[in-house]
Amino acid sequence: MIINFKGVKTYIGTGGKSLDINKMTLCFLHGSGQNHLSFIQQARFFAYKGYSVIVPDMPAHGFSDGNPCKSIKENAEWINDLLVDLKLKEVVVIGHSQGCLVALELNRILKRSLEALIFVAGSNEIPVNQFLLDLSKENSQKASQMMVTWGHGIDGDMSINKWPGHSHYGEGNNIMCMNKPTALRYDLHSCNDYSDGIDAAKIIKVPALAVLAKNDQMTPLKSGLKFVELIKNCETHILDCGHFLPSERPIELNSIINSFLSKLK
Amino acid sequence: MSENYKFDTLSLHAGHIPDKETGSRAVPIYQTTSYVFNSTEEAASLYNMEVGGHLYTRISNPTVAALEQRLAALEGGASALACSSGMAAMHLVVSAICSSGDHIVASSKMYGANINLLQHTMPRFGVKTDFVNPNDPDAIKRAIKPNTKLVFGEVIGNPGLDIMDVPEIAKICNSKNIPLVLDATFNTPYLMQPFKYGANIIVHSLTKWLGGHGIAMGGAVVNGGNFDWGDKDKFPTISGPHFALGGISFWEEFGPSALIAKIRAEGMYNFGPSLSPTNAFHLMQGIETLPLRMKKHIENTHSILDFLVNHEMVEWVKHPDLDTHPDHEVAKRILPKGSGSIIAFGIKGGREAGKAFIESVQLASHLANVGDAKTLLIHPGSTTHSHLSSEAMKEGGLTDDMIRLSVGLEDINDIKKDFERGFKAVKKLNK
Repeated sequence: MIINFKGVKTYIGTGGKSLDINKMTLCFLHGSGQNHLSFIQQARFFAYKGYSVIVPDMPAHGFSDGNPCKSIKENAEWINDLLVDLKLKEVVVIGHSQGCLVALELNRILKRSLEALIFVAGSNEIPVNQFLLDLSKENSQKASQMMVTWGHGIDGDMSINKWPGHSHYGEGNNIMCMNKPTALRYDLHSCNDYSDGIDAAKIIKVPALAVLAKNDQMTPLKSGLKFVELIKNCETHILDCGHFLPSERPIELNSIINSFLSKLK
Repeated sequence: MSENYKFDTLSLHAGHIPDKETGSRAVPIYQTTSYVFNSTEEAASLYNMEVGGHLYTRISNPTVAALEQRLAALEGGASALACSSGMAAMHLVVSAICSSGDHIVASSKMYGANINLLQHTMPRFGVKTDFVNPNDPDAIKRAIKPNTKLVFGEVIGNPGLDIMDVPEIAKICNSKNIPLVLDATFNTPYLMQPFKYGANIIVHSLTKWLGGHGIAMGGAVVNGGNFDWGDKDKFPTISGPHFALGGISFWEEFGPSALIAKIRAEGMYNFGPSLSPTNAFHLMQGIETLPLRMKKHIENTHSILDFLVNHEMVEWVKHPDLDTHPDHEVAKRILPKGSGSIIAFGIKGGREAGKAFIESVQLASHLANVGDAKTLLIHPGSTTHSHLSSEAMKEGGLTDDMIRLSVGLEDINDIKKDFERGFKAVKKLNK
């Protein structure tokens, strides 16, 4: 659906179902340079399982207009305002990569409690190397290609996909090309500059789930495991794939999330 | 891993890694029509397009999917869909994008069946086409109307061998927000990858060079993922609500792969031109050696060109790699590895001479196919393009005496010797 949020055209994927604010809402937060399409195989799946689903395209991403947020805090505030604007009641936030940092920060600034937090291929920090930061400023398309190649596991290299006929690389590059050229640069800087992750992780009181990737080269497994140690009683799973876990292992990820959500009811 | 494998490696490996259960190195042939669902919930997920997977082979199949993913990787596309033939692929694209009242701009120099589909079949369903010279970008620009939904052409025209200036035409299409659809059968991704030049959709007859051995029919649509279908008024079939699946908007929910999702949900579901898993396996075997074959095809083609150009019995020779070809400069720019292995030539003595030549050669086969590992010949005027009017023949650059040669991989001296046999018969006739 498209809404006018803060005077800006904002797209929110709802998984093909109308948003019902009386149901538990799953709010998916995309990663750097991504948009709602990074959750193609989660949005419809959970919408058809009886949840309300929102997958907002952050400003300047996907089908949303506006200027990109310039920090993780700004992203979190934007999401916080959106949740208030949509009058959502019970909300579970599911972040992927940068979306995990936004979820951490959102939990910190929220005036009310979330139902649960789910971290996919996440950590409390996502340092970005200087070469990629520079490249994202000079040539966002090249930087996107580098991230898509680097971010996928062997399934990306070998064009293996659970969705018949789809290419991780080809699809991934084009998803990133849908964003405004400046979006990636600000996303990567936001990740690199974020340093409140440890404190934000320690104050989590709601049920938490982390699904990490064994061959993650963007938020390495080692970093993800340190992160989950900071969270009290964080249910943790490790899947054999790369950083783009939602498209590389959709069935397994959906099953883990579904099982976790069923315990909340 | 992030190896970013190169073309030759992808030709062999893309789309398949040995499964842990059997360790099968080759892609298994999943000769099955259907797939057991683990639960009603899983079945519903597949029907609703919530997650990827297989529910019925008319829609998708694991062996066919391996082929599709190999093609997507080789072309650098977002997604691909394999079907029963190149013509099925062409129809799937046209019917996915166009509805009654829509318009297409197409090259006038194309394969007869492509012309027939657009000139005679689609108008019965309210979709009209204007045919224009593919080498005249201004003519293409002028032909585009407010209801034009796609521009279609062949990278290397069949059989006239005109080369479409893809970057120029892509610029025009891009400025008008119209997808450029190209038949890339004659070039294959080894010689040229059209998405790099701005094309949006590719159709292939896999039966030809990609399969390469004349044993299996197949076609494919490869989606660049680089076209914005967001204009709901212009592209309602892709971005507007679909009649099923809860009124899904393919563009909103699948973005770069919207076209393939649409074709799978409607074209494959409602028309059913599915590719058999066994054919998919055969076609993949062919693709494994595509780089090696194409290299040899081009080497042999250049050698035969030299032979024909200097032969006393040959009236004319047409191939884009010859500097006498009107599109030679375009070919050099977009097809630097070579412009394919089809040669058109005329023999002194006209139609009868051509007939005598074709009937006298022994090694080269007289048949209606191209892109086989074996050398093939045909007289288009009396076969593949026989249903076209003389005006349409002329517009397509065809002449009565024209022979279409598909250069194979035999020892080049054996091909030349075989042709000398044909020329000898012509000489006798001309006496």
